[in-house]
Amino acid sequence: MHALIETAAKAAIILGTALVAAVANAGSAADVNEPHGLWIGAMHAQTPKVLSGAVVVDLAAIEALMPEKPLLLDVGPAARKPEDFPSDRPWLPIHRSIPNAIWMPGAGAAPLDARREELFYRRIEELTHGDKTTPIVVFCRPECWGGWNAGKRLVTKGYTSVRWFPAGTDGWQDKRETTEVKPDTEWIAEPTR
Amino acid sequence: MKILALVLCLALFGMAPAQKVLAADSAATDDERAARWKTIAESVFGDRKIEPTETLIKLDAPQRAQDAALMPVTLIMPEKDKIKSVYLVIDDNPSPLAAHVTFGPAADPGLLQLRVRVDTYTNMHAVAETGDGRLFGTVVFVKASGGCSAPVASTDEEATKGMGEMRMKFTEGAAPGKPMQATLMIRHPNFNGMQMNQLTRNYTPPRYVDKLSVSYGDSKIFDLDADISLSANPVITFSFVPNGKGPVKVVASDTMNGRWEQSFDMPATTN
Repeated sequence: MHALIETAAKAAIILGTALVAAVANAGSAADVNEPHGLWIGAMHAQTPKVLSGAVVVDLAAIEALMPEKPLLLDVGPAARKPEDFPSDRPWLPIHRSIPNAIWMPGAGAAPLDARREELFYRRIEELTHGDKTTPIVVFCRPECWGGWNAGKRLVTKGYTSVRWFPAGTDGWQDKRETTEVKPDTEWIAEPTR
Repeated sequence: MKILALVLCLALFGMAPAQKVLAADSAATDDERAARWKTIAESVFGDRKIEPTETLIKLDAPQRAQDAALMPVTLIMPEKDKIKSVYLVIDDNPSPLAAHVTFGPAADPGLLQLRVRVDTYTNMHAVAETGDGRLFGTVVFVKASGGCSAPVASTDEEATKGMGEMRMKFTEGAAPGKPMQATLMIRHPNFNGMQMNQLTRNYTPPRYVDKLSVSYGDSKIFDLDADISLSANPVITFSFVPNGKGPVKVVASDTMNGRWEQSFDMPATTN
């Protein structure tokens, strides 16, 4: 009887752990593990604390890096205009980011259309002048897998100085000035989907 | 996803102390924000001049929101007899004009409270239109972000449950001819088209309350033109003067041809 209770208790613990893990992936405060490849689940959810092959940075670390003129890569989402939005009401989306950031909305989506992915790599290559050691700070909003994915893509592609700033535009605007940035013209020249 | 939003907001807003900031710090950003406001003002008000005011309209909002999807905003109009309508503008929301409220004869236009979504740290403007057609504006800077894409509920079904149901809470001590406050609550997800269904990863189609009309008997209290910046399950506190027979009648409609109507009897008057 005792053994039975013990087994039941163990089973409950295992089940509980599994539940906690599941909840973690849905966005609780528990730690989230790195996926093997890109994250293809919900984009707006808690992210891992790490990104293998990249350095996780905070505001101070980015500022320390500024003299090296890193590529500041914002992959935060663009506002979506509701269908049938009244034409007599102003629709004036604005995106604020770290000054001088390059904004490629949705570049962290996964899966990403092969042509879009190719365009992403081409733009990064252009922006880093083909130097894979150029420091790149990739970011989004907080709890945004897009930033993690974009960093993962760069690491996988062989960029050796990738920084991931999980606090993103919110972490920046809380302490520093933002400026309005427009989407990278080449990135949005082709339709997103 | 409510938990997620909560965690997010705690993480974002829980730490730093609230501080009084009327505008962003640096001159460049100030210029940028001023230019932004100019663009919006031209779009909403055309070439009408907006005079600054310290007295005709005041905007009270937390400097730092607990929840960017549910930021309470209070408009106070001390010289209420002069006020014809009020506008609430959240400068850096993609749809900056959050609400336009036109008061009717049964209104007591001294106070209006709404809950709004805030997309990013932004200036917020309140503009009062006086009976003689002049515009007066005031501004505060608020620190909140992520309110526009924050999920409404864990599922769309849950978010839309009971859509159109209303409740009204009156302040006590009603007396004929004496202004009283009421708070209207409407169940409605106010989907703005930017919330992603976390299961299907599709964006939930927009569906939001765009018109609200509240009257006392045959006399109008206010008309509200709203859009996607209003929080899910809108809550509106207003003031009115109960003269004659009630009830308070609310007609709400949304962008998918939803229409809801409900009447509320006033609590017994005390004399």
